[in-house]
Amino acid sequence: MRTLNRTVIASCMTLLLSGSLMLVGCSSSPDEAQMKQLNDLKEEVAALQKDMAAKDQQKAGLDKEIAEKNAKLTKCNDDQQVVKQRLAK
Amino acid sequence: MNVMKTCAIVLAALLVVGVSVAQEKYTKDQWQQDLNSYTTQRNDLNTKVKAVTDQITTLTQQSSKLDEDWTKCIDDLYALVGSNRQAADAFRSDIDATENTANELSRLSDADLMARSADVDALAAKTKGLWDNKLSLIPEFYDRLTALNDKVKALQTTLSNQVKIYSVGTWARNRDCLWNISKKPDIYSNAWMWPKIWQGNRDQIKDPDVIHPGQKLKIPQGKELTSDEKSAARKYYARKGK
Repeated sequence: MRTLNRTVIASCMTLLLSGSLMLVGCSSSPDEAQMKQLNDLKEEVAALQKDMAAKDQQKAGLDKEIAEKNAKLTKCNDDQQVVKQRLAK
Repeated sequence: MNVMKTCAIVLAALLVVGVSVAQEKYTKDQWQQDLNSYTTQRNDLNTKVKAVTDQITTLTQQSSKLDEDWTKCIDDLYALVGSNRQAADAFRSDIDATENTANELSRLSDADLMARSADVDALAAKTKGLWDNKLSLIPEFYDRLTALNDKVKALQTTLSNQVKIYSVGTWARNRDCLWNISKKPDIYSNAWMWPKIWQGNRDQIKDPDVIHPGQKLKIPQGKELTSDEKSAARKYYARKGK
């Protein structure tokens, strides 16, 4: 009976160990080169996001600048009309 | 029975450990998923950056074109009044200086302003001169000169509301008569203005040849005689001539 117990325990342990090893081993991990590839890609994305933010800011600045210049030009044209009217008087 | 129990406990424990180890591990599938996701992000961003760069190029060109248009418009504007940018800059500086003078005079107390009435007159003349320049037709200058006019008028009103008082001294020491008082630089700097003092003090001067030491004479504002004052002077000279 004792021998039977030991055999059962040993069998269980072996079964469990091999099962666990299979569980861990079946799902393989990326190697170092692959991880480097992913990290490089992440860095590239981060740099692009930063670049995009800067360009968006630059574009917003230009939009504002153009709106101001348009207003200045409109005023200048209006001033010309006013001066013409005053000269005509 | 005990053996079976122990076996079950160990089995469960190992199963839990095994599963958690497997879960914590970064798998190749996850790596591939991340790689795909970041690749998509990079490609999207590259497209967006290119698009916004193109927009920036277009906007920069547009901005330069607006600069050129504005420069031409301003040159045409000055040309309308027969002027140019340099002359306009000089005119602007001239207005700046005149505005500064007007502001300085506006901050003076009434008494100090009175002492600088000549500066107010000079300011009024300067402002009039600025209006004579055709550049004054341009709204930028026109508006500023209009505001300057208002300030000059306010200063002149303040001055005209002031009445200067002169205390008559003795003939022996001060040689005070209306003629000499009028001649003083701080009065009119013009002896021929004496009838203005006379007419402004008819309540206490019956005969303009007679004034008394200690009399407080009002010195009316003005650079010229009014028609009444001229008339009074003519009558005086006519009487003297008889």
